[in-house]
Amino acid sequence: MSTTKVQKILEFRNVSKFYGAVIGLNSVSVALPRGIIGLVGPNGAGKSTFLKLAAGQLKPSLGEVTILDQPAWEWKAKTKIGFCPEVDSFYEDMTGRDFVRSMARLVGYPKELAYEKADAALERVGMASRADRVVRGYSKGMRQRTKLAQALLHSPELLILDEPLSGIDPVGRQEMLDLFRSLAAEGKCLLISSHELEELEKLTEQVIILAKGRIADQGSIFEIRERIENLPLSIRIDSSERKRLAQTLLQCDEIATLDLPANLPQSLIVRVNTPKKFYESLAQFVLRENLPISRLEPLDESAHAILGYLLGGSGKT
Amino acid sequence: MAEAHLTGFLGYREDTSRRSGSWRGIVAVARASLRMVFRRKMFWALYAFSLLIFLFYLFGQYLTVYIENRVSEAMVRQGGVFGRMFNPQELSKVLTSSLHMNGSADTYGDFIWTEGYIVIVIMALVGSLLIGNDFQHNSLPFYLSKPIGKFHYLLGKALAAGGITAIMTLIPCLCLFLEYGFIEDWSYYWTEWRLFLGVVGYGSLVVVTLSSMILAVSAWLRRTGPVILVWISLFVLSRFIQRWLVDGLGLSPSWRLIDTWNNLYLTAMWLFDYDHAKIRPTNQAQPPYGQAVVVVSLTILVCILSLRNRVRAVEVVR
Repeated sequence: MSTTKVQKILEFRNVSKFYGAVIGLNSVSVALPRGIIGLVGPNGAGKSTFLKLAAGQLKPSLGEVTILDQPAWEWKAKTKIGFCPEVDSFYEDMTGRDFVRSMARLVGYPKELAYEKADAALERVGMASRADRVVRGYSKGMRQRTKLAQALLHSPELLILDEPLSGIDPVGRQEMLDLFRSLAAEGKCLLISSHELEELEKLTEQVIILAKGRIADQGSIFEIRERIENLPLSIRIDSSERKRLAQTLLQCDEIATLDLPANLPQSLIVRVNTPKKFYESLAQFVLRENLPISRLEPLDESAHAILGYLLGGSGKT
Repeated sequence: MAEAHLTGFLGYREDTSRRSGSWRGIVAVARASLRMVFRRKMFWALYAFSLLIFLFYLFGQYLTVYIENRVSEAMVRQGGVFGRMFNPQELSKVLTSSLHMNGSADTYGDFIWTEGYIVIVIMALVGSLLIGNDFQHNSLPFYLSKPIGKFHYLLGKALAAGGITAIMTLIPCLCLFLEYGFIEDWSYYWTEWRLFLGVVGYGSLVVVTLSSMILAVSAWLRRTGPVILVWISLFVLSRFIQRWLVDGLGLSPSWRLIDTWNNLYLTAMWLFDYDHAKIRPTNQAQPPYGQAVVVVSLTILVCILSLRNRVRAVEVVR
């Protein structure tokens, strides 16, 4: 095991963010090294809040967010960040090149250097030949590339990309994935938020799974899968034939306990030791016995999110 | 190995380029905003009207001085097929007494007042372009992901709005002041220093007040249509209402304080050290200068606080 200290690019220390009575992020602590890190989670999990805090666009209500030991909220830290937000509505009357040049001036470059940097960034994202068209006529993919170009302008240490692959065609998607890999190979830290775990898996094994404003799990996808295999989980199953379903499920080895709540006449709550195996067994039982099931819901929100992503789908299991 | 080769090939290294501080971001924000405004033909069409007013005053002052100093004949023949004779002293009287094109406080006060009609329309149109669009399309993250803060962003937008106002009010008014001293008597520059202060004060007041008002209104309403409606109400409807209340119903002149443009004019006249009793039209009672100054100051303060809250509200995730 190496004793070399890994440099942390982005660090969250006990960070919470409140929006009035609503909690966006709840006591999150995480440190990101160089490389590609995926950020996944269902809608409302706190991904946008996490990214905005990392990009210094939000100030934490509690705790501290630092970029290379500088508070993310301070403008100096922003010289180390490239942020590619999910929104793609920028100045429709401008050409892509003018937009990126304007952003380069905002970084603080003098005119000639700003133009040079903008042209280089557009070249890198494959927009050089199309950048002189007005943004209004851009496709979703072209907008994504232009957004990425403005994030790459100042060669930041940390690139924060919110759904960067959305709307890009398969060929373009492959180009973007190659670009992300090359940026990571240069020693940059890429924090990529995506709904599509499959795409992220092509880029990295390191993911952070967010659920209900908390980090549900983090690490390599393999490790998380290992953990989830052995994570006990409570699951609610609704059926119009509750008793028959309960009798059938008692044959299942993965179930530790089974409860028939009095206040929910159509529901039963099972505690399973190995959820993945249980889901496979459940599918077989249901098909074999022709059991009607109207609802299937893990009661542990963190596990819910993890399962949602690891077993496929959008996180809404 | 392959990765190292790829990195070298791509030539992407740590950025050590020359960069200025975040204050330069203010100018960059203003520049980007002005570029968007200057792309609009409508802006240039309206700006042409503003220039016409300026040229009217510019040549009006020139004509006044010319007639007073150079025309000695009792009657002058005017051009045209049939020709007409007119008395230059009568023309001079019209230029100085009615049109006030004689380098006085009235000249500069009237000029900015008249320009106000165009300025109000232009500001209504560009307000949503300058800041409304950023809120409507949620473009703020692009600005704020760069090494600038919300403070720099707002100052940049204010600089753009102020620049547009200044090229129609403060700058041409200063040109008129310089012109009059140049063609009349150079001692005018130092003997009438109070006028100079008044011009700078009135122009700056208009720039600061209108910029903060249009930014505050656009940040809240976002879309061009509502911005124009509210803006016109603030400057046109309020004038009709104050006239109706004070001149029609005979209420206190303090009701005129609901008219922002009138407040700016009164504050400017105070800066010009102008006799309150001579404010035209003399048959319309005006509130004291002090009240107008207080209302203008409060207007600016409210706009700045409102903008501060609006930009802070961007934090809320929808």
